[in-house]
Amino acid sequence: MNDDNLTAMKKRVQRLVYIAAGGKISEEELGHYDTDLRTIGLDSLGYLNLLEGLERTFGVAIDLDQEEDHSFLHTIDNIVRYLVVQRGEAA
Amino acid sequence: MSGTDTLTRGPIQDAMTDGLDCHGPRTAVVGGSGVLSYAELGERIHAAARGLRAALGGGVSRHVGFCLGNRPEYVILYFATLYAGALPLLLDANFNTGEIEAIRTDCGLDALVIERAKAAGLEVPGKGEPVPFGEEVVLLPLIPRGEPLFELRSATQVCRFTSGTTGRPKCLEFSGHAVVSAARNWVLGTGMTGEDRTLCLAALSNGLAFNTSLLSTFLAGGELHFLKGSPLTRPVARRIAESGITRLVAFPTLYRNFVAPGGPDPAAMASLRHAISAGAPLWPDVREEFRSRYGLDISDYYGIAETGPCTFERDAGHHSGLGEPLPGAEIRIAPGPDDPRGPEEVGEVLVRTASMASGYLNHPGLFEERVDAEGFYHSGDRGRLVDGRLHLVGRTQDHINVAGRKIDPTEIVAVVSALEGVEDAVAFPDEDLNREALVHLVVVASKAELTKAAVAEACRSRLAPYKVPGRISFVKEIPRTGIGKPRIAVLREQLNASAGS
Repeated sequence: MNDDNLTAMKKRVQRLVYIAAGGKISEEELGHYDTDLRTIGLDSLGYLNLLEGLERTFGVAIDLDQEEDHSFLHTIDNIVRYLVVQRGEAA
Repeated sequence: MSGTDTLTRGPIQDAMTDGLDCHGPRTAVVGGSGVLSYAELGERIHAAARGLRAALGGGVSRHVGFCLGNRPEYVILYFATLYAGALPLLLDANFNTGEIEAIRTDCGLDALVIERAKAAGLEVPGKGEPVPFGEEVVLLPLIPRGEPLFELRSATQVCRFTSGTTGRPKCLEFSGHAVVSAARNWVLGTGMTGEDRTLCLAALSNGLAFNTSLLSTFLAGGELHFLKGSPLTRPVARRIAESGITRLVAFPTLYRNFVAPGGPDPAAMASLRHAISAGAPLWPDVREEFRSRYGLDISDYYGIAETGPCTFERDAGHHSGLGEPLPGAEIRIAPGPDDPRGPEEVGEVLVRTASMASGYLNHPGLFEERVDAEGFYHSGDRGRLVDGRLHLVGRTQDHINVAGRKIDPTEIVAVVSALEGVEDAVAFPDEDLNREALVHLVVVASKAELTKAAVAEACRSRLAPYKVPGRISFVKEIPRTGIGKPRIAVLREQLNASAGS
């Protein structure tokens, strides 16, 4: 996946996080893709919405029970890395 | 169940023993990787009760806190605690260390039933050696620190919690008769049978799940299913289809996600007969869309922590309101002096049920203040009865309901007011862009350096996650009445105006 596609994917995930959080986190706060989403207010309901959004937008099945380490959901960068692997799009 | 003669009896145990004996070979609990028949469930409860007695070093008067998500072990250990003669206290699994410690001080906690990993990270003084119950759950003994501050009523068999002020959850005491009445009336009022398979996605510590699923399922001889992992629509729909689920006990957000674009295929939901929602008001458009897409009405259950279940809509063709009172529940509307009178008068909702709590253990007198001479509990909700069905129109009290958890805004204000540079603060209910309820905190700061991030961090470090404000605003002054009460409507207008400018 080239840099342009990665950037586009990050913007889509950024938008999904914004929607999932119901606007409680500003798009400005989400501009730093390495920010831990938990520290800027993404709560459990927000994560539930985000997981729904990621599954439907990117066509992946995210089963948290099968993932021992949930840090892949902590930042937008991590989410995108996870999605790339799940979709078999790694370079 | 064999060997029950050595175990402690009581109304809940007797009702459960009847259920276990009646339905032996039928499936009782499905969750994780296991399926338990009624006979197997009875054996597991019996063995766990003996294990608890050994671990607790005695039998009676031990207080066991449940700080655990839904899973079969919750069911086993809940009933085992009762059969062991101990008291289950059903904590919200999201309670933080401070809240657990407050409960320990007020009510006494001799042990916690908790996930193994969470037990290891729990920073409370006087932790004992965890005793494993299954692979993922442990009983964590807590070394006693003297007598609890408050003395339990003699008939109390179960304690549940509602949000309190200053980090002290209010402990509701329930007699065994109240718990059994709630379950029996739910079975009767909703037509629950042995053919029902209930998928319970609401936390068992919550009144919705506790009353609609935990004991009632076993009285009816049905199956209680749990989902491992996050309640996303895809695995929920798959589970409904694979297990032939007939009752879904969930919350508004899940139903909203079901009807969002890309939601599950209606064919997956064909076995579903009851979709029950509670915790927060269900959005009318979601109810409508769910009916349109899946051909099923969502029953917007109304229950109160202090009274148990109150209403249920039995008529699938009736699409508004919260249904009629359940058996054992009576509802009255008490109009205030300024409320209009008439056949559909609006006023405070008063409730009297057979499943009422006995009181708050750690707030003596508070419950009694809200129960009138005829035994009706003054709910603080405003509503009206139309053709015998309850319709809510608002609240008379200041609590903020976030995802079914009532939050006292004074607790949040107290935390924030302790921060250096905070001159004034107020918290009130608001909504996010998804129409989910949130706490909106408004702060007057004397120091320009005080940021939203700092306020949020202070809240996160001192409050349970669901109490952390979803929105924080700074203003120069909070409008107040002559007696100092915040004028929330005026404040909202000011905030809206500044957001739009």
